[in-house]
Amino acid sequence: MKMHVDAAYRSLNKYGEELCGDKVMISRTENSTIAVLADGLGSGVKANILSTLTSSIISTMLDEGATVEEAVETIVNTLPVCNVRKLAYSTFSILQISDNGDAYLVEFDNPPCIFIRNGEVQELEPEFRQIAGKNISECRFTVRPGDVLALVSDGIIYAGVGQALNFGWNWDNVSSWLAKATLKEKSAPRLAASLSQAVSELYLDHPGDDSTDLVIRITPKSVVNMLSGPPVNKEDDPKIVHDYITSPGKHIVCGGTSANIVARVLNRKIETSLNYTDPSLPPVGKITGIDLVTEGVLTLSRTVQLLKDYVGHETDPFYFHKLDEQNGAAMIAKMLLENCTHLRLFVGKAINPAHQNPGLPADLSIKMKLLDELCGLLEKMGKTVERLYY
Amino acid sequence: MYYKMDITICIGSSCHLKGSQDIIRILERLVSYHHLEDKVTLKGSFCMGECTSNGVCVDVDGKHFKITPSEADSFFTFEVLKRLEEQEKK
Repeated sequence: MKMHVDAAYRSLNKYGEELCGDKVMISRTENSTIAVLADGLGSGVKANILSTLTSSIISTMLDEGATVEEAVETIVNTLPVCNVRKLAYSTFSILQISDNGDAYLVEFDNPPCIFIRNGEVQELEPEFRQIAGKNISECRFTVRPGDVLALVSDGIIYAGVGQALNFGWNWDNVSSWLAKATLKEKSAPRLAASLSQAVSELYLDHPGDDSTDLVIRITPKSVVNMLSGPPVNKEDDPKIVHDYITSPGKHIVCGGTSANIVARVLNRKIETSLNYTDPSLPPVGKITGIDLVTEGVLTLSRTVQLLKDYVGHETDPFYFHKLDEQNGAAMIAKMLLENCTHLRLFVGKAINPAHQNPGLPADLSIKMKLLDELCGLLEKMGKTVERLYY
Repeated sequence: MYYKMDITICIGSSCHLKGSQDIIRILERLVSYHHLEDKVTLKGSFCMGECTSNGVCVDVDGKHFKITPSEADSFFTFEVLKRLEEQEKK
């Protein structure tokens, strides 16, 4: 079974610093996901350079198939030496998760990886060895859907030291807090954001060190079926609806005419509310057995906008609020982002005469383009997209 | 028999852009102004297939009207109220 890896991170800069000394790189190769968290010595520019170099070198080398030994040796030999401390140093954690569920963890001086299964912290049994004079810990294990892994920089472990807490938050507390949080929040970005929020509160909003958390969640496969647009030939109506409704998973209908077709073929009623939660978007409707029914092109263009804004701000609470809004576009975006590993798109290619009216804004004529853009965004996020045309 | 009227306003993309939300607001206000909440039900519907014409498609007892927000007031007086009166006489 292919594992789907949902990864997100959030960094807090040391108070007063513009740059973060921690760096996360997540790369997806053909059959695995590699996440690297590096924490550079000190803070500010120097730490930022050290950690960026470290994470980029490791990530690129492993991507290209180099071994961990080679990567570590390269880092030890290439990092610039700090003038003050006469050291070239950046701690790092590497986590590689193969699509078949094998996980490979390599750590150097970072707090140990937090591994949570079913809301409980699991022990990992690392082995230690020396590479290029450094003590490296290594661990191989397997993951299952639902597991959560977190790599954190020491700023998280020492959160609140000398401020809210005498000795900081410490690893045990962080991991048990996160274990509890996994029972409430399911998506990696939300977990990363809420951990970061907690840390920020412990520091009383003045972080004493760069604090980064990287949360990885192994997501169970979940399919979302989306139907949009009437088929070119009216005779194909029953076919598209049949294919769509018999496909397992969640169901979204996107488009007024499409909703009418689905309702007609299934002989069910559409209920449309007149409740405008967002004045610029038509309200959503309801068909029994369909998870979400929305208007088409206006809603879709907003959804695409939401997804575009979201990319790069995965862990910014502002965007969670956007996603939690009760309008059709936000509901689609949320479902696609947080409850979807596979999207099956059932697209009818009929041209809507109403959209050819020159008096209407140009964005109405570009539904196909919107759907292509949507697919592109989701593929970039590591989701599988399947398109079926009618 | 007690007469009840359904007014269905199209909220499809095309009508939405032509102002279905305004029409819904105006009609809601008129309904409550005339105390007709028991007799008139306002409903929404996705595309009703009248997109190419000017104005928002509004369905009253199976008959389609195309109205713009500025016509909503007179539509209510001359179609909705009149129809209700006629029905009451029967």
